[in-house]
This record gives sequence, structure tokens and C-alpha cells, in this order.
Amino acid sequence: MMNQGDDPTGGTAGEQGRGAWLAGLLVFLALGVMPLVGLAQDVPAASATAYRDIPGLGSRNMVWVVAQLHLLLAGFVLGVPIFAWLCEIVGWKTGEKRYDKLAKEFTKLLTSSYATTALFGGILLFLLIGFYPKLMNYLADVFFPSFIVYCLLFLVETATLYLYWYGWDAMQDSKKGLHLFLGFLLNVFAFFIMIVPNSWATFQASPVVISEGTDLQRAWAATWNPTWWPVNIHRLIANVVLGGYICGAYAGIRYLSAKNEEEREHYDWMGYVGNFIGVFGLLPLPFAGYWLMREIYQYNQQMGITLMGGFLSWLFILQAMLIGVLFLGSNYYFWLGITHRIPGSEVKYRKPMMAMLIILLLCLGVWMTPHSLVASLEEARKMGGTHHPLLGVFGVMSAKMTVANLMILVTFMSFIMYWRAGKEETATWAKVARSLMGGVLGVAAIVVIVLGVWGYFVPAIVRINYFSVAQVLIVLFVMLTITPLTALLLRSAKTTTEMVWGKMPPRAGYALVLNAVMVILLMTLMGYARSSSRVHWHIYGVMRDSSQYAYSPALGYAAAFMSLNTFLFCMLVAFIFWVATMGDKAKANDAGGKGHGAQGTLPAMAGGAPALDERK
Amino acid sequence: MSEVALLQVIGLCVIGTGVSILLFVKARFVRVVGFVMIVLGLFSMTALGVPQMASLPPAEEKFDVANIKTASDMAAIGQKIFFSKGQCALCHSIGPSESARCPDLKGIGAKLSREFIFESLTQPQAYIYLDYRHEGPPKEYPARMPYINKNPIGLSKNEILSVIAFLQQMSGEPITVSPEEITQTAQATTPVAIAHAQ
Repeated sequence: MMNQGDDPTGGTAGEQGRGAWLAGLLVFLALGVMPLVGLAQDVPAASATAYRDIPGLGSRNMVWVVAQLHLLLAGFVLGVPIFAWLCEIVGWKTGEKRYDKLAKEFTKLLTSSYATTALFGGILLFLLIGFYPKLMNYLADVFFPSFIVYCLLFLVETATLYLYWYGWDAMQDSKKGLHLFLGFLLNVFAFFIMIVPNSWATFQASPVVISEGTDLQRAWAATWNPTWWPVNIHRLIANVVLGGYICGAYAGIRYLSAKNEEEREHYDWMGYVGNFIGVFGLLPLPFAGYWLMREIYQYNQQMGITLMGGFLSWLFILQAMLIGVLFLGSNYYFWLGITHRIPGSEVKYRKPMMAMLIILLLCLGVWMTPHSLVASLEEARKMGGTHHPLLGVFGVMSAKMTVANLMILVTFMSFIMYWRAGKEETATWAKVARSLMGGVLGVAAIVVIVLGVWGYFVPAIVRINYFSVAQVLIVLFVMLTITPLTALLLRSAKTTTEMVWGKMPPRAGYALVLNAVMVILLMTLMGYARSSSRVHWHIYGVMRDSSQYAYSPALGYAAAFMSLNTFLFCMLVAFIFWVATMGDKAKANDAGGKGHGAQGTLPAMAGGAPALDERK
Repeated sequence: MSEVALLQVIGLCVIGTGVSILLFVKARFVRVVGFVMIVLGLFSMTALGVPQMASLPPAEEKFDVANIKTASDMAAIGQKIFFSKGQCALCHSIGPSESARCPDLKGIGAKLSREFIFESLTQPQAYIYLDYRHEGPPKEYPARMPYINKNPIGLSKNEILSVIAFLQQMSGEPITVSPEEITQTAQATTPVAIAHAQ
């Protein structure tokens, strides 16, 4: 146990022997966190203490793991209520019980994760107070009113969640409207629970000068910092993506271990819904990320350069790789669905799927092209400069923005293709609509590419402020035009081939798991990016990190931690879900033993209300 | 063994364990765990394959009044405070800037006297006109400029004088703050950490 005052002990002292950390941390986690936290708190509080540490483990590493797990869990529990509520609305409007059942199953996963999220939040708070007293004093001084608001939000969120979950069956008929209103409230409170702590984290990255005033005025001024809303929007969408893909992975695992046809059908359908929700959020996510990055550049160009062109530039190549795999995984799942759920579609859609695959791979190749390669003098001479004469063209933002937009367009078209598969449009205007959609898509793709190429020949400010924004708006226009048009077209369409659920090959389940892992890794990666962009500052430009951990570790070391955190999170979620469904399995077995085999074999779903478990 | 090599060995072990699980274990959930291990191992190996660059913090300097011999010494310290503890550069620029949220301070040392600058830093409301654009008694315009000598910034008098010396020097004016004005109080002799400018 070490205390550290204001005097720094040297910035690079902690570098040595960091590799031994991962093994040490695993042992530490196995032994349990709390006893060591107790050790840290044994030290009498002294006002001069700026940092505390546990030698060998390191305060930053402990905070890294716990904060990441808390944030991932929080992302899940804040994202799930959004689509659980939407599913419930769909079930209520259409009268299809399966949607209501699915919404309840989502909420079941939510309730069981909620307490664990709060638990990790508590551990994180103790660790932060213990390890970073000076920083926490400063933040408490600025943000104390919002701490109170946060606590109150937690109280009302918890109460609403209890009512929403435990009142599900009781409010099924005449009180369904009230139940939906509770779901709405749940999401409103969840949104505020997300944006309040976002203000603390974004203030650390983009602080504003706080004038004199009441505590409330000061907290409000600090809350409205330049990156607060970009992060709020980015996280809101990312939480939906995370929640969707995790639910998809849950369904994928349950599908892989399904014991009968009924389970396979249900979890195949749930996997489809999870993947759909993930893709639905994934499409606008790069736009939100672009806005955030733009705000960072506007706030402080140096911070933007550190991220995109400095020591973190390679991180964005890894990000491109992960996003690329995610796009490929999501599309692959759609294509598997077309092939296996809609008999006879394989031949019809083979060529378009192959074309989409090639476009995605080409786009991924461009996105992953580094801007400047770290090369020796000799290598640079052979290349004719630090930028490869051919690859250097693809390494710039103009090319990357273009391919990102094209990948979004391709994924969107994958979904549209899946939606239309097995149906025959009967509307008289179907041909015109199809031509219009094809035209919109083709023109949009061409304009996106033209703007991308043109972007090489204009000043960066023109490209950033006009061309990139135009590309984003064009893609959004395509989505907002083709989606309602397809919906209208399919309203009167004739189903030629019924969708067959439960026929997906096992690799579909693995694809869902892969997508979830990619999203989790992406969140851990960007968490590291956000934190490292502050370089050696706790609060950028305001409070310097003078601890021995003021350096940002290299990507390899950081990636090992990201992988560890991802693995721990996956195991944690698997454990929570296993515990949550344990009672239902027993119930199902019990029902099966009493001679209700056909219905009793349906496991885990929706808390086992018999009326809801009737198959649609 | 270097850190990267050690991490690569760990990554390979993780991938190897995952592959072994997929080859020899039948239980579905364990197989999924094996699959996840392979994916995570591959990700780590890829990240270890790119150039490894850590970001090291710059050395921290001390503001020790005992070392101040000339007015230029004061201006040099003032510059560091301007870009770090003083947080001036969060809002002000020196020269035209699109992102600056507050007035450009280029040449400010030539336009304003040192007394006026000192007062502007410690009493930002002093010369703000009152707002009469509403009914009732006039109100003060909300001062966006914080009190530099109070928390959370809390610069000491010596530090403020150093910032003024910097503002005068960068405006091409003679520095009117003399090193003798730096009070040798017990507080002032305590070294104050100053971060390097970005």
C-alpha cells in the first residue's frame, strides 16, 4: 500500500514489469477484490494524499477493469429497456403475443443485470475515492448537485423497474396502457441516468472554465461542456447496439444448446431480432461518432490530432478492423437467414450476396489502410516517401469516410433484401417503386464516391464541413426513403415462401456471438481512446495526472486488457443469465414431469406465464 | 523476455486453449467460450503486431521563486501557467483562432496596463456594464471570466504577476513586473507544480 502526495514519483516508473500484470490481475481477481480494497482504505485519510496505490497490481489497472465492467453492464441495462419497450408496443399494437413475450424476456435479462451493474458502480466509486482522492475532491466540488440528482434518478429508476417487471402479468389487459407508460418512464429515467455521469466524464476531456456562482450554477456550467451531447447521443445509440447484439448472442447460445424444435424456433427468431436491433443501431452510429470527433477537433485541435494522427492513430486501424468484422458478421447472419429460413432463396440471392461481400471486403481494405506507415529510412526510400504511393491514397479521411458510408449502404441493402425475400409484390406501382429504389441507391452510391474523390482536391475544412456531412445526409436520405417505400410495397405483397424458423446452421449462433464480442471489444477500445486522448491529464489542461501512471500504455498492452475485460464481461453476463433462467428451467422441468410436456419444455421465456407461453 | 513477447506468448496460449476446446470438448457452452478465446486472442495478437507507442508525460517543472532572477524568468513561468494551471488557453487564444471562445489576447499587454490586467483577473466583474434590458433593477451581466485567484483555478499573486509578465513580453512591451515583487512568503517558497504546455 502506497500513498502519494503532490510530488510526482516519475512518469515512467510503472512501465517496468507491466507485462506481469495480466497474470497478477487474474490471481487478484480470483482472490477477490474486496479484501484489497479494504487494505487501500485502511490508510488514514490525509488531505495531502493525491494518490493511493497497491504495488504490484496498480490502482489504474484495478480502476480500468472495474470501470470497464461497470460501463459495459450499464450500457446493456440502459440499452435493453429501449427495445424491450418497443417490442412490447409492437406486441400490443399487432396483438402478437410473441413480441410481448420477447419484451418480457429482454426485461428479465435486464432485471438480473441491474443489481450487478449497481454493484460494480459501488466498487468503482470506492476505488476512485480511495485511489484518486484529489481528483474526486475536485469533481465532487464541481458536480455535487448532480451527484444528488443521480442518486434520486437511481431511486426512481429502480422503483419503476420493479413496477414494470413485477407488474407485467398483472397489467396485461386493462392496465396495459399503464404498463407501457411505466416502460416509457423507465427509458426516460435511464436516459438521464446515462447523461448525468456522462457530464462528469466529458468534463474531464473537455472542461470549461467555471465562473463564480451557486453550486447548482457551477455544476450546470461544467455539465454543458462541448463534448457532452455528442457523447450522450453516441452512447445512447451504442447502448442499443450493445444490448441488441448481446441479446442476439444470448439467443445464439440458447439456440446452439436448444433441445427441441420449439426452442430452436424461438431462439432463432430471438437471434434475428437481436441482430436486427444491433444493425439498426449500428447504421447511424458512425455518424454520431463523426459528430463527436468533429466536436473534439473544434474544442481542442491538439486532442483531435493525438487521437487521429498521433500515438493513437493505429488504434483507429484496429477500430476499422473490428467495425469491419462487425459489418461482415451482421451481413453474414442476414445472408444465412435468407439461405436457410427462406427455402429456394439461395440461388436467387447468391450473386447479390457475393457482390455485397466483395464490396464490403474492398471497403474494409481501404478503411484499414494506415495513413502513414512506420517505416525505416530504407523502406521509406523504396516506397518513395513515408506514405506508400498507392496505399497512401486510401489512408486519408476522405477515402475512409467514403467506404464507411458505402458499407452502411450495403448493410442496409442486405436488410432490405432479407425483408423482401420470399415475397412477391402485387401493387400496381411495384415496378416503378423498385426502379425508384434502385435509382436512389445507385445515384447515392455514385454521389458518395464522387464526393469522396473530390475531397482530395479541396481544403480539409471544406471536406469536413460540407463533403463529409453531405455524404452522411445522402446515406440517411437513402434509408429514410427506401425503408417506408419497402414497407408500403410489402403491405400488399404475397408471401411466396413462408419463413421457416429454427433451421439455421450452428455457425449462425457463432456469428451472433462474434458480433457481440466485436461490439464489446469496440467499446473497450474506444474507452481506452477516450481516456488516452487526455494524455497526462485527469482533467484536460486543468488537473495534471502526477501519479506514476500518467503515461498511456501502448496498444498491445492495452489490447490485452481490453480482451481480459471483454472476457470477464462475457463470463459475468453468462453467469447472470444462467442464474436468471435457472428458476424457469426448473419450472419447465417440473411442468414436464407433471405431464405437460409440450408446453412445459419451453424454457426460460418470459417468466413462465402459461397464457403467454401459448405458441402463436 | 520483453513485455510484447510475453503478451504474445499469453495471446498464443489463449488461442491454443480455444482451439483445443473446439477440437476436444463437446459441451456447447464451453465450445462458445473456446470460440470467444480465439477471437480475443487474435485481436490481442493483431494489436501487438502494430507499432507499439506509449505516450509518456512531459517532465513536470517547479515554480520556485528562488530561481527567478530576471523579468524574463517570470515571463517564462507565466507562459507555462497560462497554458496549464491558469487554464487561460481553454478559452483565450494568442492570435486569431476559430475555436477560441473568448477574446484574442495577442497584444493585450500593450493595450492594457498591468494594474488593469491584474484587476481583470481578480475582479472580472469590475468594469462590466449593468444590464438594463429588463424590468426592475439592473442586473450584472453574467461574468464568463472566472476569478483567477479563487478556486478552482486559484492562482497565487506571484503566479498572476508572472502571467502578466508573459502577456507583456509576448506583446513586445517591456515587462513592468519586477522579480523583487515576488513575495518570499512561506507559501511562495513552496515549489508549485506546473505542467508543460501541450
